[in-house]
Amino acid sequence: MNATLAPTRPESSAGRTTFAALVVRELRRFVVNPVFLAAVALTAWTTWGNPAASVNEIDSVNWYPAIFLGGFGMMATFWLTRSMRHSEPVVGVTPTGLPVRSAALCTVAVVPFLCGVLTLFAFLHYHPLDARVYGAFSPPAQVAVLVGQIVVPTLGGPLLGVALGRWVRFPGAAFVAFLVLFGWVNVATVPSLSHPDSLAATALRQFAPFTHFTFTNNGAAMTTWRGSPWFFIGWQLALCAIAVLVAMLRGADGRVRARVTRTLQVVLVVAAIMFVLAAAGGFTHAVHA
Amino acid sequence: MMVRSMLRAGAWPEVAGVSGAAVMVGGCAVAFPAATTALFPIAFTLLAAAAAFTLDEPASLVVDVTPTGPVRRTGIRALALLAPLAAGMVLMLAGAQRGLALPWAATGLALAGNVVLGFAVACVARTRTGEPGAAASATVVLILMAPTLLPTVARRISTFPASGRDGLSSNTVWWTVLALSVAAVAVSVSGRPRLRWIPSLR
Repeated sequence: MNATLAPTRPESSAGRTTFAALVVRELRRFVVNPVFLAAVALTAWTTWGNPAASVNEIDSVNWYPAIFLGGFGMMATFWLTRSMRHSEPVVGVTPTGLPVRSAALCTVAVVPFLCGVLTLFAFLHYHPLDARVYGAFSPPAQVAVLVGQIVVPTLGGPLLGVALGRWVRFPGAAFVAFLVLFGWVNVATVPSLSHPDSLAATALRQFAPFTHFTFTNNGAAMTTWRGSPWFFIGWQLALCAIAVLVAMLRGADGRVRARVTRTLQVVLVVAAIMFVLAAAGGFTHAVHA
Repeated sequence: MMVRSMLRAGAWPEVAGVSGAAVMVGGCAVAFPAATTALFPIAFTLLAAAAAFTLDEPASLVVDVTPTGPVRRTGIRALALLAPLAAGMVLMLAGAQRGLALPWAATGLALAGNVVLGFAVACVARTRTGEPGAAASATVVLILMAPTLLPTVARRISTFPASGRDGLSSNTVWWTVLALSVAAVAVSVSGRPRLRWIPSLR
């Protein structure tokens, strides 16, 4: 019996081969996407074009990679996902299901993520760790702040683009999401400006895929806000996982759907825990320098 | 009769949806005066994107060869611009009621400029495709967000009156944009340029 079943094992190997082929194909489409190429060029320009001497507050330069690689990357993956919509009657009858194709699309987020990692190193080269511009955090926590502001958004943005492309029919959903998220980060930061010690203001500020941990009033006085940069990274990664699972939920049925739904429930709980820890962790009061 | 049917065929869910998102963002700008100068430009950008969807015509292959000319068709569809303009006016009224210290005449000009720019880009794109909304709105968003996202552009151009930046003033920018947009709309609707791209109709 085992000898009879053994030859069926290559099916999973064939599935992996198909998945790898799909990933390579999607990667090729993504890396030549003009929006992504523009995002890479703009990130390089803003990172290399802001030498340390001209920057007196770190918050004025640390959000560009999140905007370009994350936000523009979201638009690129959204269009990449939607571009196959008209071919769905043909592609839909192939043995490769929609969840597998969604997973292959999600894999392309590795490219902007790696660009984000490179940007982090470049950023650290031009803006070395210094409590005067990074706040009262320990050096490892200062790096964690940068990872949460530069690296993780470059992963999350493209993943959100895939999820939106799978579920939203409106062709302008990506830029609407980009503008709304951009606006939300601005709004969520406002209460922390006037109530830096408030836990509610901290929680509101961190209820976003990107947040600032310090505030410098035109280079005059540095305020380090409440909140844990480490748990904020956990919250961001949980959001990334939610985006992947929501994308894979589209077209999933039977056992796959049940597994994705169950995993999604677990990740939602983890996200809630991470959010609470991110808001409650870190300093108990804002630190003024 | 024709006006009503042409308006009914418009991309109203897209126009209303994006305008609604703009009202939501602008509402936050009114509620949080500290974020007004950041959020009002975003709301206006969304209204420009909404305006870019007004010319979407899924049945363009049929509609474009009917006796109704592009000038009349574009004129009728331009009525849909009232939706984003009305949404912007509501935001400005709410801001004025809340006591926001904005130069309202210049803000109104910025609103009109944003909406007309979105419509002009859609008009130009409409000569190539029947549903220019997605591409035109994405283009408009990237153009209008450039001063917010790129420091070099921000130093040279100001697209919102209260942004307090150097370089070209908001009024200069929007009067120029309005003039160029009107010219672009006039050129794109004259002479049925669409027909030149259909080989069988040359």
